[in-house]
Parts: sequence; C-alpha cells; structure tokens
Amino acid sequence: MIEAQGLGARVGEFELRDVSFVVPEGKYGVVIGAAGSGKTTLLETIAGIIPLRGGVLKLNGLDMSGVAPERRDAGIVYQHGYLFPHLSVEENVRYGARDVPFADAIAKRIGATELYAREVRGLSGGERQLVAIARALAPKPRVLLLDEPFSALDPRRRTLVRREVRAIVRELGMTVLQVTHDFTEAGLLGDVAILLDQGRVLQSGPPERLFREPASPYIAEFLGAENVYAGVVRHLDDTVPDLADGAEELLARGHRAIEFKAGLLTLYTVGDAPAGEGHAVIRAEEVLISAAPQSSSARNQFKGVVSEVATTGALTRVTVEISGTPIIAALTTRSAQELVLREGSEVWASFKAMAVHLC
Amino acid sequence: MRKAHRAASVIAAFCGSVFLLFLVAPIARLIGAGGVDGVQHLFTDGELRSALALTALTATSATALAILGGTPLAYLLERRRFRGRALLAAVIDLPLLIPHPVAGIALLLVLGRRSLVGGTLLDLGIRVVGSPLGIVCAMLFVAAPLYVSATREAFARVDVRYEAVARSLGDPAWRAFRRVTLPLSARGMIAAGVVVWARAVSEFGAIVILTYNPKVASVLSYDRFTSYGLDEALPVAAVLALLAFVPLFALRALNASRGMYAGMMQ
Repeated sequence: MIEAQGLGARVGEFELRDVSFVVPEGKYGVVIGAAGSGKTTLLETIAGIIPLRGGVLKLNGLDMSGVAPERRDAGIVYQHGYLFPHLSVEENVRYGARDVPFADAIAKRIGATELYAREVRGLSGGERQLVAIARALAPKPRVLLLDEPFSALDPRRRTLVRREVRAIVRELGMTVLQVTHDFTEAGLLGDVAILLDQGRVLQSGPPERLFREPASPYIAEFLGAENVYAGVVRHLDDTVPDLADGAEELLARGHRAIEFKAGLLTLYTVGDAPAGEGHAVIRAEEVLISAAPQSSSARNQFKGVVSEVATTGALTRVTVEISGTPIIAALTTRSAQELVLREGSEVWASFKAMAVHLC
Repeated sequence: MRKAHRAASVIAAFCGSVFLLFLVAPIARLIGAGGVDGVQHLFTDGELRSALALTALTATSATALAILGGTPLAYLLERRRFRGRALLAAVIDLPLLIPHPVAGIALLLVLGRRSLVGGTLLDLGIRVVGSPLGIVCAMLFVAAPLYVSATREAFARVDVRYEAVARSLGDPAWRAFRRVTLPLSARGMIAAGVVVWARAVSEFGAIVILTYNPKVASVLSYDRFTSYGLDEALPVAAVLALLAFVPLFALRALNASRGMYAGMMQ
C-alpha cells in the first residue's frame, strides 16, 4: 500500500506540495500530468531518492521518514531504463535478485531473456525498457514505481508487455504506481488515478470517475474532454422535465434537475452543482449522431450542421454546429460512413442527461 | 568579403603556428641536445638513477594518497548539497593558486620540526622535513586539488539515477558506489591520477623548501645547473622531459579508449 499524506519535496526550484492519495495494497495506481508537473519527482520521493520535506509517506503501513531507499522494498523503473552500461543484459536483470531462477523466469515472461546475449549499448529504447522492467521485478519488491515504462515499445509489444506486467504484479501482490501520458493506458491499468499539476494533486480516484466527473474545466480539458462549455446553472424546482435514463434515482437521493445555458444551447441534467456560473462537460463518446431525431431516452437532442469530419483509424470525430456552439461526437468510422457524414450535412446530436457533468 | 575571410584564416594560422612553435621548440631543443646523453647517463650516473627512482616512488605515493583522500571528498562535493560546499571547494583549490615556494613555506610552518604537528611526528620518530615523506607531502599538497577537481567531473558524468536504481535494487549507498558509480567513473579517475602523478613528478618549488636532500630529479637538475652549469644539467633535464611523455602517452591511450560508455549514460 502507498499512503501519501500532505507530502512535500523540493528539487531545485520545483516543489511538490501537499500531495495526498492512497493506492491500496495490491492495486495499480496511475499518475497523470503534463510535462513538468512533478510526476517523476513524486516517484523519486516515494523511492527515497529525493528527501521528504513534509507530510507522511507510508509504504505497506510503515512510516518511511528517514528510511533509506534500499530499505523501502520499492523498485523503480525510469523511462530511459538506466541500464548499467558496464554490465551485460543478464547481469542487469540479476543485479538485485536474491532468487536468480525467478529473475530469469520474469525476464523470460517480459521477453528480456532473448536479449541476454546482446550488449547494453546495442539495445533500442524499447529493449532497454524491457530489461529495466525485468530488473525491477526480479527482487520481488512490494511496491513498484514505473515512470512511463512502456513509452518506447512499439504498439503491439506495448500491449503484450503491459498485460504481462499487470499479470505479474497481480500474482505477486505488488502495489504499483505508474506515471503515464497515455490516458488509454491509465484507464486500462489503473485502479486509482492521480492527476498532478505543478506539484499538486488536482484530483484522484478511480480513473473512470476522473474522466467522467472531472473536478474542474481545466481537468476536463487536460483529460481530453472535447466538449467543455462555460454557462449558467439553474435549478428546476417547479418544472422538472422528463429526464428519464435513470435520473429519477438521483433525484430521489436529493439531487436536483438542472438546466444549463451556454449561449443559445440549453442542456438538461441532474446533479448537485450550485446555481450560478459553472461549466458543463460532455465526453465526445457520449454524443450520438443520427440522421433523424432519436426516439431513445436521450434528454438532450439538437439539430445541427456538420462542420468537420476527422477520421483517425477506427474512430471518427464529427463536429456539429448547434446554434453557433460546436459539439464534438466520437463514433466508429464505420458508423460515420453509414451515415454518409460530410461537411454541411444536417444531423441530430443527442446525449443523455446523465452524460452532462457540471463542475 | 571572401578576401577578408582568407586574410583572417592566414593570420589565425600564423598566430597558431608561432604559438605551437613556442610550446614545442624548447622541449624539442632540450631533448635534441641532451636526450641521448641523458639516456646514456642512466647507465653511468648513480645519483640520477636514485633521483629518478625517488621521484617515481614519491610521486606514486602522493598519487595513491590523493586517490585515497580525494575520492570521498570529490564524491561529497559532487553529490551532496550542504552549507559551505562552495567554500570547501574553493579551499581545496587554494594550493593551485599560490606560488609553489609559498606552498613549501606554508607546509614548513605546519610540518617543520618547530611546529606542533612536525614536532610531535618527530617525537614519534617520523621525520617529515628533509625526508622522502616531506617530498610526498609537497607533491600531494600541490597536485591533489587537480585530482579532486578531475574526479568531481568524472562523478558528474555519471547520472545520479544509476545509483538511485542500484539502491532501489537493494544496494546500500557504499555498495551502489562500488558496483555502479566507481566502474562508470573509473576512466575519469585514472586520468585524474595520471595528471596528479605527472604534476607530482614535475614539482620543484614546494619540494625544494621542504626537502632539498634526498634529491628528486627536478631538484637534481636545478642543483647541477647551479653547481656545474648548463652542460651538466642538460642530461638530467632531458631525462625528466622524456619522463613527462609517459603520463602524456598514458592519457592519450586512455582518451582513445574513452567513450566506451559515452552516449549510453542517459
């Protein structure tokens, strides 16, 4: 388990301030943040490489104040591997291993044993990462700290290695904290996501909640939410519209029906946002595009004109202008082709009341 | 424009050539005039052989002591951030800045028989002034700062994250240094040692104050020059100059094989 309570650390002018989060035992935490947000500094502070300047850090229930890195039972993998260039690949993998056959078995699963005969200097960036991962796993640390460990691997290998690492850490019951820029990776791997910005935690929790319920428009935009609107929140106390799509349950729990006006666009949702100025976030994958109005439970339906169609592989992003406000929808390229979407096409964009998150 | 470039090139080449000539001519002339004679003297001149042996022995001892004391100091200065670090670095560099006879006088004040340290050592039967130990002290004093400075650079070239990884793999600080930092900075440290040895061999000013006798080669060449003139000093001086090529070649060989890990140390 990794418990950080009000953690502080300093490197030159950069400071980690009041960082708090928990990654439960055996769970996988992911740290997301822009370059320079302090992700690597956070890992190095947990590893004991950078001294704590404040707060409490507990690993597996033990207070780590003043505990040397080698006594923390925490392995670290850097993005560039930092393989020891004066040692062979094999010696690198076995460097900290107490159980050599186990180290070799881990290396085999990761695909690093194929590199044993090679010299470190001849390895590619991705191969170095494989060896560095195997080297860190070999001593079976209880905590594993990974700094973008798969970034140099090709997409196919990345998927395989990511899966294998996930399996190994599960088998060994390791608690993991991984830094990543890849939101898909964060969603795939993480049980807990921590969003870091300028040395502070902006939000932490299950990745799904971070992506669906960002605490601020900044977080929403950072996490790639395409539709973020500034507007005014009004509580609908007298005339509650038919919100359908499960909103009744929330209303029964004390939430309120809400009307949100962003320019000429009026959205309906349910929540506990205070009345007044606010922001609405709708993820592009929540927006449906159709040629005719939907007869589904989607409370928010708008007629608009397609202003842009951008295809990237299997996904197509369609921008629909509704009363001068753009709404972006993400749909499969196949669906987009079936709808024969072109610039200027008239379409209907719809999304459920529950897809609108206010912050 | 093109003419101006050409003129600038010619002037630069001329200045460079004159400068090179200034550096090379005296040594070439010295070896040319006394080199063969000096090598022949090695077989016949017992005093020269003794002086050279003493020079090599004391310079090697001073280098060993510089490595022993300078390595932890260089590591401390390079890796740790503490109050007074810059002041400590400046103090270590101080012997490089003062004239070497002044360094000899300063050493005499601390190690002379009338000083507390020198007197105590003498009571214990350890004579510093006028002994090979005095020569080692003089060589160490003037050459050790070079070792600390060069070794700091060698440590600086090894990313601190290598040590971080080693420690996360279970190595205490000392073992991480021995297994990772030391092998990765060994070449730089050896080069630093060679420089220290060469500087120790060529030292004269501080040695002549602290220990005139027994004579090291530099003192012997000076002694022959003042007592018998240029002709007698020439073979000794030429042999010393030839001796200076040994560390020079060693350094070049080291540089040629350097870069073994270059480009690999992220």
